[in-house]
Amino acid sequence: DPTRGTSDDCQPCPCPTGVTCAVVPKSKEVVCTNCPVGTTGKRCELCDDGYFGDPLGQNGPVRACHICKCSDNIDPNAVGNCNRETGECLKCIYNTAGFFCDRCQEGFYGNALAPNVADKCKACSCSPLGTVGKQSSCSQVTGQCQCLPNVAERNCSACQPGFFNLQSGNGCERCDCNPIGSNN
Amino acid sequence: PRPDVDALPPGTHLLFAQSGRIDHVPLEGYDMKKKDAKAVLHLPEKVIIGVAYDCVDKMVYWTEITSPSISRASIQGGEPTAVIRSDLESPEGIAIDHLGRTMFWTDSLKDRIEVASLDGTQRRVIIDSDLVNPRAIITDPPHGNLYWADWNREAPKIETSYMDGSNRRVLIKDNLGLPNGLTYDSPSSLLCWADAGTHKVECMNPSRGDRSEVMEGIRYPFGVTSYGKNIYYTDWQRDSVVAVDRYSGKESDEMQPQKRTKLYGITTAYSQCPSGQNYCSVN
Repeated sequence: DPTRGTSDDCQPCPCPTGVTCAVVPKSKEVVCTNCPVGTTGKRCELCDDGYFGDPLGQNGPVRACHICKCSDNIDPNAVGNCNRETGECLKCIYNTAGFFCDRCQEGFYGNALAPNVADKCKACSCSPLGTVGKQSSCSQVTGQCQCLPNVAERNCSACQPGFFNLQSGNGCERCDCNPIGSNN
Repeated sequence: PRPDVDALPPGTHLLFAQSGRIDHVPLEGYDMKKKDAKAVLHLPEKVIIGVAYDCVDKMVYWTEITSPSISRASIQGGEPTAVIRSDLESPEGIAIDHLGRTMFWTDSLKDRIEVASLDGTQRRVIIDSDLVNPRAIITDPPHGNLYWADWNREAPKIETSYMDGSNRRVLIKDNLGLPNGLTYDSPSSLLCWADAGTHKVECMNPSRGDRSEVMEGIRYPFGVTSYGKNIYYTDWQRDSVVAVDRYSGKESDEMQPQKRTKLYGITTAYSQCPSGQNYCSVN
């Protein structure tokens, strides 16, 4: 406040080098006014929306603000894609999940990091009749559902050869055909 | 200009969000008085997305996504107060029915539209199905209509319903990309939208269904508002507020704030409320 006329009226801005500041008239609070790209806050201590880090190292080592790292599994038209401090991804798409949108959601399988959307995460679609506990989730990598006894296929939708009665919901039963009278 | 926290002088203004602040620029006629642009509110630790204005109590309302909440403050220099704090994930668009004294908002993670009294009480979900990325929402208080846009890349759409969520209909689903912003101009009965996918501003009379293009080749609109002959939109690539003359279809002005960062919602703060009443204000 230069109007008071003392030698320490004007003080340097408590901001990163080259950044200007202003005093809020009502609260007398000093606020930085043009923080570097990706940073914001009274002292440029926070990351902007779409960025994450800890530019002044308030909670540990200094980490400059970087654009959200979400394995290309976020939409640039969305807001709040990642936590501004930790970088945890908050709006994964293409059925992905995880801190970096780097794995498939529950109930989906495949490679969340595949470059083509079609190759990313597909629904498990486990057959309810052939799956233990009618679960809807499967192995995240192979997509194998957890099948009841003597049930086959990735999605547990068929009996193993020589077995029948998937409809029972308890697994498949041996055919017990007489080998002499049967052709397979 | 110094971006100080300040009361809004009389007259009509544009209010727009720039991450941790809400700025205003006074309108003189339809021109932006850029030199007089200032922050109305400084909330540096917040990320403000949607803004709405209540012309009756002269309060600004906003949605915020870092600690998801809806807050308000008097534009004559009042303290910000949170009115909704719980059960929000990504509140984005916000709109006010100044006649019924209610507010409406979209939540893009909960995928629903809610309503509450302006003080946050009497909260109710009015739409909770067939929403993927709801964002813009706008009211037409005299007719009791609500309009919103969903920028779902697979099937973007603009919808309408009454203010209780009944009589829901899809108004537009063809030739849309990323309809981020919506505005309704009562005098001309035109619903207009700014689309970051088709890079166009288009309008339609919702009851007649005729659609017309105002401008094409725009960069990356986010929020949009209308006032008289002009449409104003915020742009994510230009980091500025752009004025478009809706009759000539030409850009007439641009304002770029000192701080270069994304601009979000924008609204017109009328000096006086448009007249009218609706069933919510009567009952």
